[in-house]
Formats: sequence, structure tokens, C-alpha cells
Amino acid sequence: MAPTIESVYLGNGGLSEGNNKRSNRFVKATWKNNLTALVVDNVELCRVLERENLRAYGVETVAVETGEAAVELVASGSTFNLIFIDIYLPTMSGPEAVRQIRAMGVRSKIIGLTAIITEKDEQDFFAAGIDEFYEKPLDPDWFVPIIREVDNQI
Amino acid sequence: MDRNRLARQVALQKQSLFDQGYIDQQFIQVEELQDVSSPNFVEEIVTSYYQDTSRLIVNIEQALERRPLDFDQLDRYIYQLNGRSTSFGARKVIAEGALFREYCEAENAEGCKTTFQQLKTEYATLKRKLEAYFQLARQARLAETASRPM
Repeated sequence: MAPTIESVYLGNGGLSEGNNKRSNRFVKATWKNNLTALVVDNVELCRVLERENLRAYGVETVAVETGEAAVELVASGSTFNLIFIDIYLPTMSGPEAVRQIRAMGVRSKIIGLTAIITEKDEQDFFAAGIDEFYEKPLDPDWFVPIIREVDNQI
Repeated sequence: MDRNRLARQVALQKQSLFDQGYIDQQFIQVEELQDVSSPNFVEEIVTSYYQDTSRLIVNIEQALERRPLDFDQLDRYIYQLNGRSTSFGARKVIAEGALFREYCEAENAEGCKTTFQQLKTEYATLKRKLEAYFQLARQARLAETASRPM
């Protein structure tokens, strides 16, 4: 079944978290599989952009604000091919959320995100179980090859 | 002003923002996310940015008044600001933020204060320039819509 193409309806100003209004949005890439992604970022501005970038490249994407919400979602049985997660999240940090997700046996590709990479953050995040670590914003130059790799592995 | 001239003006203004280093390629990428259902997406991202970061700017200002300076706190604030600034390629703001972080790391109070003044200038200038750009872009879109056959 072809992936649902969704668009963000922005209404009368202000960002929307997306209310699933279908549109004829042009999708920049199609994949062999129906790919899904989870975005975890407590900054709405960044979260919306990350989600929309992935959707623009044909990846059905859900976005949540906290590490706890991400862990809950995965624990409830939701599965994602890709998880993009910010290192600095309120209460439960990005690394802690990743540790808990990996402890559930999740083998999704997990990409850590940060505004500025530091050596310590890199070490902490990789130790927690991410596969890749990038500075924001999402850039097709690096995230499209990751999506392609995941698509080819399924 | 006719629609072609407006469209040219929009393109020129955007190019000027690039050439002067106010924005980078990320701005184009965000523009590419605009479509019929969200024609003002970039403007809404930028509006959200300024709403979101205005409090951060105040927090940094207040933090710079404290004695002694809490450089870790300042670093956290500027990290947050830079994270948001990368969302649409606010290049000069990001650059000043990076410099500010270096001064925080070196625990250089004067460097932090001077750089922050420059950052605020770039932040305000960018806002002004983008407001003018978006106003022109809206006029161009209206002219384009008005010129379409019924």
C-alpha cells in the first residue's frame, strides 16, 4: 500500500502540529518500502521542520516533544524505521530515552541530533545507542542517504 | 507594480540576503517545503522563531547582569538560541552565537558581553530585513493570483 501523503495545515498563522490534511503535496522521493520515522524534539519550531522535511521525502513521520513520549510510543508497540532524537530534552534526556528504547530490543536506525556537536555529547550519545550523530538542521545531503540505506536493508 | 517586476524584486531581495550573509541554504530548503496548502510556511517558521527566542534573549541579558557570571547557564541559553537559529539559516546570528560560546568556554565575561551586543544587532537586523522580504513576497503572490485567468 502506498504511503499516505500528508501535509501540514498551517491555518491562520502559527505552526500546527499537523492535522493530517491530505494534499497533492509534491514528494521529493519514493521508496521501495513504506518508511516511517519518529522525531523527538522539544522545540516546536525544530520539530515541525524535521517532520516536514522527512515527509517531503516520502517518510511517514510522527513527532513528539519529550523522551518520555517517545519511550511510551515505542513501548505501546509503535514501530519506526528511523528515529531522529535531540540530545537535550526536558526531564528525560535524549541519551536516556535512547537507552530505554534500545533496552526494549528496538533495532531501528537512531540518529542523534544537536545544535552543536561536542566530543562529550558525541561519546554519551553513541554510548546510549545511537547509530549516527548530526548537527541540526536536517540536511537532505546527509539524511537522504540514511533513508536510502534503511530502505535497501528492508 | 506588475507581477513580473514583483517576482524579480523578491528574487533580488532574497539574493541580497544571501550575499550579505544573513541567511544560508537552509532558508531555501525551508522554502521548498512551502506548497499550496502552506504558502506562508517560511514566514510562519520565522515568526515562530522570533516569538520563541525573544524570551531567550531576555534570559541571556539578565544572566549577563549577574555576578559572578554563570558561564554554564549562558552556554545553555546560547545553545538553545543557536538550535533555533539553524532552523531557517540565520547565518550571522549563528556565527555570533558560536563566538559567544567560545567566550563562555574561556570564561571571558567581556567577550561574552561584547559578542552578545553584536548578536542582538544581527538578530534585530535580520528580523527587519525578513519582514520586508515577506511583505514583498506576499504582494508578489497576490499579484500572481490576481493575474490568473478566471
